[in-house]
Order: sequence, then C-alpha cells, then structure tokens
Amino acid sequence: MAALGRTWAWLRRNALPLYAGLAVAYMLVPIVVIAVFSFGDTPRDRLTFGLDDGFTLEYWREAFALPQLNEALFTSLRLAALSTVVSTAIGTLMALALVRHRFFGRRGANLLIVVPMATPEVVIGAALLSMFIFYSFALGFTTLLIAHVMFSISFVVVVVRSRLIGFDRNLEEAAADLGATPLTAFRTVTLPLLAPGILAAALLAFALSIDDFVISNFNSGTTVTFPLYVYGVSLRGIPVQVNVLATMLFAVTVLAVVLVLWQQRRAERMASMRPEPIPAPPASATT
Amino acid sequence: MGSGKTDTKAVTMRLASAVAVLVLALILAACGDDTVGGGGNGGDVTTAEAGPAKGDLTISNWPGYIDPGKEGTEAEFEAESGVGVDYIEDVNENEGFFGKLQPQLEQGESGGRSIFVVTDWMAKQMYDLGYLQEIDHEDLPTVFSNLLPTLESPAFDPERKFSVPWQSGMGGVWVDTAKAPDIRSVNDLFDPKYKGRVTMLAELRETVPLVMLAEGVDPVVASNEDWLNAVDRIQKAADSGQIRRFTGNDYTEDLTAGNIVAAIGWSGDASLIENEDAEWRMPAEGCSLWSDNMVIPVGAPNTAAALAWMDFVYQPGVAADITEYVEYISPVEGVKDILRGRGSELAESQLTFPTAQFTEDCTDQDSPPDIEPVNEAWQEVITG
Amino acid sequence: MRLRQHLVPYWLLGPGLLWLVVFFVVPMYFMGELALRSGTLTVGYSFDWAWSNFPDSLSGHTEQIGRSFVYAGTATVLALLIAYPLAYAIAFRAGRFKLLLLFAVIAPFFTTYLIRTIAWKTILSDSSPVVEVLQALALVPPDGRVLATSGAVIAGLTYNFLPFMILPLYANLERLDLRLVEAAKDLYSSSRQAFLRVTLPLTMPGIVAGVLLTFIPAFGDYINAQLLGGTQQSMVGNVIQSLYLNQRDYPEAAALSFLMMALILAVVVVYIRFAGTGAFMGDEEPEEARA
Repeated sequence: MAALGRTWAWLRRNALPLYAGLAVAYMLVPIVVIAVFSFGDTPRDRLTFGLDDGFTLEYWREAFALPQLNEALFTSLRLAALSTVVSTAIGTLMALALVRHRFFGRRGANLLIVVPMATPEVVIGAALLSMFIFYSFALGFTTLLIAHVMFSISFVVVVVRSRLIGFDRNLEEAAADLGATPLTAFRTVTLPLLAPGILAAALLAFALSIDDFVISNFNSGTTVTFPLYVYGVSLRGIPVQVNVLATMLFAVTVLAVVLVLWQQRRAERMASMRPEPIPAPPASATT
Repeated sequence: MGSGKTDTKAVTMRLASAVAVLVLALILAACGDDTVGGGGNGGDVTTAEAGPAKGDLTISNWPGYIDPGKEGTEAEFEAESGVGVDYIEDVNENEGFFGKLQPQLEQGESGGRSIFVVTDWMAKQMYDLGYLQEIDHEDLPTVFSNLLPTLESPAFDPERKFSVPWQSGMGGVWVDTAKAPDIRSVNDLFDPKYKGRVTMLAELRETVPLVMLAEGVDPVVASNEDWLNAVDRIQKAADSGQIRRFTGNDYTEDLTAGNIVAAIGWSGDASLIENEDAEWRMPAEGCSLWSDNMVIPVGAPNTAAALAWMDFVYQPGVAADITEYVEYISPVEGVKDILRGRGSELAESQLTFPTAQFTEDCTDQDSPPDIEPVNEAWQEVITG
Repeated sequence: MRLRQHLVPYWLLGPGLLWLVVFFVVPMYFMGELALRSGTLTVGYSFDWAWSNFPDSLSGHTEQIGRSFVYAGTATVLALLIAYPLAYAIAFRAGRFKLLLLFAVIAPFFTTYLIRTIAWKTILSDSSPVVEVLQALALVPPDGRVLATSGAVIAGLTYNFLPFMILPLYANLERLDLRLVEAAKDLYSSSRQAFLRVTLPLTMPGIVAGVLLTFIPAFGDYINAQLLGGTQQSMVGNVIQSLYLNQRDYPEAAALSFLMMALILAVVVVYIRFAGTGAFMGDEEPEEARA
C-alpha cells in the first residue's frame, strides 16, 4: 500500500518530464518506422512498407548510389541553410522594429506579415511563377531562394516578436547607464537574451525550407530539391535509399547536437578542475 | 494619446499610403503587355530542326521510367553520341506538369527542356495550344521503321506529327485474389459487399472510360451525356462510402497494406505491390490503353540531340533494356524476341506483350467532346 | 540626431518590407487581376471586371470551407494541448538537454512531409497492430478503420504542425520569470491558481503566436487530406489545387484564394482582439512611446 503511495508521489513529481518523454517519442514515431524500413529488403529496390522479404544492409551500403537523390538532398540543404540565414536576419530586424518603435505604416506592416501565411501555397507558387516569367527571370536555385526567404520571413517575425513583447528594457537601460552605446547594448544585452527566440525562429525557417514542396514545384525550373525528388519517385516507387538518407540525416543532426553538448560539459569540467588560482585581472581591463 | 485632429490625420495618411502602394504595384505590373493565361501560343507551328547531335540535352520524364545507372540507356546514349544528358523525373502527373510549364510555354519557352514525355491526351492538348513542334518522319528513320503497327496511327495524332511513343500501358483492375476472388469487372467494384475497400484513380481519363465500358458505352464515340452519367454513378458511390478514396499511384500502398481488396490501376505496377495475392486483371468489358509519348516543345534548345535520342531508344536492344526494367509495353518491334532470348519472364507475359486478342475490347484514352462541364463535374467528385 | 532616431524603424524594416512587397505584393496583384478575368485556357483569359468570380468560387465549396475550419481548428487545439506542457518541460526541466530536445522536435521535418505521412499511413493501416489496439479500446468501431476518415486527417494535421506550435511557445515560455510564480505561491495561491493567473497570462503572446502559426497554414493544407483522407475529407486547399491544376480555371482559383485569405485574416483579427494581446498586431502603444 505504501509502495503504491510512493509510486504515485513519484509519478506526480515527475509527471512533466514523463509527459515530455512521451511527447517526444510520439514525434519520433515516423522516424522509427522510416528507419526500420530502410533495412527492409524489396524486390526492386523500391519501398513497399512490407517486410515479407526480410532484412538487409544492402541499401545502407549503397546509400549514395543514386546521384540524383544525393544532388537533390544537397541542393535542399544548401537552399535551407541560405534561406534560414537570410530570413532569420531580416525577420529579426523587422520584429524589433514592429515591437519597439512607433512609426507610420506600423499597422500596415503588421498586416503584411500575416497575409503571406494566410495565402494557399498553390497561389503563392503560381503567382510568383507568373511574375518571374513576366520579367523573364530564369527559374532555378535563385528563384527558389527568393521564394523560400519570402515565405519564411513571416514565420520568423511572429516567433521573435512573441519573445520580444514584454522584454525587460531595464536591462538595456542599465547597460546604457554603464556607458554602452546603443549598438553595444544591443550586441551584448539584447541579442543574447533574444537568442532562444532567434534560434527557435531559425529552426522553424530551416524546417519550412527543407520541407517545402508546392511553392518549390512551381519555381524550381529544372533544379530538383529533396521533397520534389521524393514526390516524383513516390509515384513509381520510392527507392529505399531515400529512407536510408533520411534516417542518416536525422541521426547526424542529433549526433552533432550531442557532440556540442558533450564538448560543453567537458569544457565546464575542465574549467572546474584547474589547480592554479586564476590571476587577478590587470587594473586597466574592462569588466 | 492623440487628439482628434491627429487621429483623423493618421487615418487619412494610412489610407493614402495604402492607395500609393497599390498604385505602385499597378504600375509595376502594367509595365508589360496583356498576355496572361492561355489563348495558346499564337505563333506558327515549327518543325524540329535536325542536325548533328552535340551539346546538352534536357529531358523531362516520369519517374522510374528508364533503366538507371552506369549501364542504363542514358549512359549508353551519352557514350555513343557525346551528348550530355540531363534527365529529370519531374512529370508526376500530366496536369501538374502542365500547370507548372504553361506560363513558359505560352511565351514560347520550355524552361530548358528539349523533350517532355506526356500521355496521349496531354500531348494533343499541348499541340492544340501551339506548345509543341512538329516532327519530320525523315529525321527519325529508326523510329518509323520499328514502331509497332498498332501505334502508327492513333486517334489523337493520326499522322504522328508531334508524338513518338515511349511506353504504353493498360488500365484495368488490381484484385486481391485471396480476399475478393470474384472481381472480374469494373461493375464488381460497385458491389456493396466491398464497400469502403475499393479505390479508383483520380485521373478522369483513366476511371470514367472504364466505367463507361462497364456500362456498354464505347468511350471513343460517347456523348457528353454518357460521360456525365458515368461521373454521376461514381459520385453516388463516393458519397455512400463505397469508394474509399481516389488515388494516384499510391493505390499500390493500400494494396500492400491490405486496406483494399480492389483498385483501378496500371498493368506495369507489379513491382510496387508487395502482396502475393494481388494480380492485375483485364476487366471483362475491356481495359483502357494509353501511351506516354515523347514530344518536342517550342523553345527546345537542342532539337537535333532530341531527335537523335528518339532514334536511339527505338533500337530494339535499347528498347529491350528499358522495357525489362520498367515492365510496361514497348512500342518497338522485336523487343519480345530479344527478351525471350534473355530468358526474361516478361516475354511471355500478357501484361508486357499483350496479344491483339487480349486487348480486343480495350479502348484508347480519349477526352470527352466538351471537356469543361465534364471536368468540372469530375472535380466535384474528387474533392468531395 | 532626432531625425536619425526617427529613421531607425525604417532601416530595420526596410529589407524585409522590400522583399515582401516585391515578391509577395506584386505577384498577388497579378493574382488579383487574374481573379477579375474570365475565359478558358484555349481562348485565353480576358480582363472584364468579372466580380462574379468571387461568389461563383464559393458556391459548391462551402462544405470544404467549413471542413477546413473544423479540421484546422481541432488540430490547432490538440496541438496546443500537446505542445504547451512539452514546451514548458523543455524550457524549465531540460537543463542542458534543451538544444537536443528542440532538435529532436524539428528533426522529423528533414524527412519530408510525404515520407512522414506515408509512414503514418503504414502505422495506421487497417491491419496494423496500432489500429487493433484502438479497436480494443473502443476508440474505433470494431470493423472500422482509421485511414480515410476525418480523424486521420486531423491527426496528420496535428502531427505535421506540432513544431509550429512548440517553437513559438518555447520561445516565449523560456522568458518566463519563475520567481513570479513562486511569489504567487508565497501569497497562498495553489499551483493551479498560480498557473491560471500568472503563467498563462504571461505566456499569452506565445500561445497566440503558436495558434496563428498552426491554424493558418493548416487551413490551407491539402496533402494530409489527399493522403490520409477518403472521398469525403477534402479541404479548401484541395479545391484550389484542383481548380488551378486540373480545371485550369485560373480566375476562379485566384478568386477563391482571395476569399480564403480574407476569411483567415478576419478570424485572425477577431482572435487577437479576443486574446487581448493587441500588442501582437500593433494596437498597443509600442514601448518607445511608453518610455
């Protein structure tokens, strides 16, 4: 009876982490399925999501055997990276302006941010295409980049803005009181405090870009991105390598983050183990 | 905070600026002429120019429609002709592809491509809009000496002026013989005992002609009303839940997973279905026959290489390689014997080398006499 | 110096605004102009102030519009319920694993929409163990199915837009000063009261952002309905897709799109007023003026 009580108490205390674990597991369910089927043998090297033919490592060994798939994946990664950097930078600046300043056209700008999100992708894609054709602008990587940045900006602004609202300005005032110029205050106080918001926005922008299909389909010309490639082959059989590479990508990302964390931990531990006392800073050094 | 006067001023300023932005956009957009949308490409129809094959060739084809790899057809062609081939598999559906390219074709551009591969009716549609170039038979000796007689004069392009078949196929019924052994006709798909376990293709020209055949109507001479009647019958089946969904190629997934017992589907998709009990059946009333064709668009940058490619793939040896991988019907004579010589099972299969008797009731894919109302009615069915 | 101060917001806004005007407003103008044309592909589309396109595009499609509302709305609510505790946990209980968890949340996106949805199709197929469990729990009728139903589409929408809800929530929650919650408890409020009266209001901007970023794109989505739905689950996105690509009725597609945009914007404005964060849409006085 007491054991039950203790279990219950433990559950209550750890309800939140338990739930978080479940939720994350839920998000990763498709990844598990994808990974599992990357080991499934199939008669014609095409995914069938059936396991009748047993397991094999063949597709992992030949993960990079399809040049078009590799190129498509690489193109998508490059596109997403560039699009993320540009849209996050632009979007953050916009968010700052919209939350902190009062200026003419503020309402209009706010509206302009939301409207692209509300527009169906078919329409944005087709409209952009019409415009590019109209001005005889060659379709390809550049037009893709333009389109991706365009639809990412809104999302970045919304995310950063939700963090900026109610931001404690006293901290920046304090920096100013200590002699910092507005730019320095921004760099050393605002930006670091904003960082989680900017990171979240950047992650979202990256996900949006790497996953985009409809708008890319219209504006890619003969360039093939990963989603375009997958959609194409899905009609005649997805090569198992797609699953392999997707699993690899996921694993590499997680591994990279784990490495960063492990490095951080090592650095902390090393710092705390230093035997000699840290010498006093010279009198002229600034804090 | 503001006084009354400032507020009015603010509102006026806001309105004025909104108008200014709109005017600016109007000016920007008006800097050009009025050609938006269709109306067809008004220019004269040109014939594709032949010549020595060199340079680069960009081809748009359906996915999984060519034997890949270092020993595939593409590599072979590159080695033999010296032409660099950029083979893109971006024709996912006829309409989607058309929608994507239409603005460019309207301006006489093809986006860098010299060959598309599209289905019969789409080729005709493109030609009628002036988006294709014509082909001179003399530039394609191998093609026209090896082309199967049955494909020489199709209804949509009787003189083969603008199209050269790539592969052909049949639309019929895939059946899970363990769960529904009795399904032998498209009419059986409407049997209530299979409610919710049946799918049909979302493509108008695949599904509706089959249903019309099942009702005893010949799709090639059918009137608009016949089409609309068939659409209506399908609509009722969809509303009642008899038809589970309208699919693209993904009916193969449903068959593999056991979600359905029967589907309208294509003869060459066996390798996509991992279900030993599934087999493609020729409907009792006949199937639908279609071809995907190579066409040369306006604005094609390298027509000489395009023509060389077409001629190249009509060599029986090359055609045999393609068909062996793709498992659809080859338009080239002599492929059956080659595959038989290689000991391939495909040589004896009715699905890849159907006899005339096998397909005697089959119909060509055709469009309704007046496409707009039928298409509209069909889209209502598809989008619930 | 004062002049420069006034110009700062314009410098900050400049690049973004320019990008959006050139690459969104101008194409939208093209679309708007297209909505007022009539014609077909074969004869071309001529401009003749065809205002009738707007009501025409609505007729016969009200069912799909209503459905889109219900599906997107339900998915948004579900996503909020799932995401809030998760975002909270990542912000306050994850310690050094914050980054890892955030990446774990985003990483499924690297596999592309289509593959993720196909994976779900496999998991939810009629004969899968998951469905059998659901049948045993009476959540699904004994001879029923999960795929090709509204439930499947909503589940797909919820799953695919979950990161859109988690990330803004996290961005906002992370800033929450837990000492305020402690202070509330010191003043004898229960955990529940502290949450409702301190945490929730303070995190409203994050909730508003998350709801908008989820509902708006979900409303216009068409892939979930196409892959997971049956014949009776089409949404507005499917209709516009079909109008544009299959019927080639560009004017009607453009008209319906504009109507859809207007509808969503109306909902957004109402919601923001209701949620009380006028600052979000720029109604509150900005900080500069308050200082």
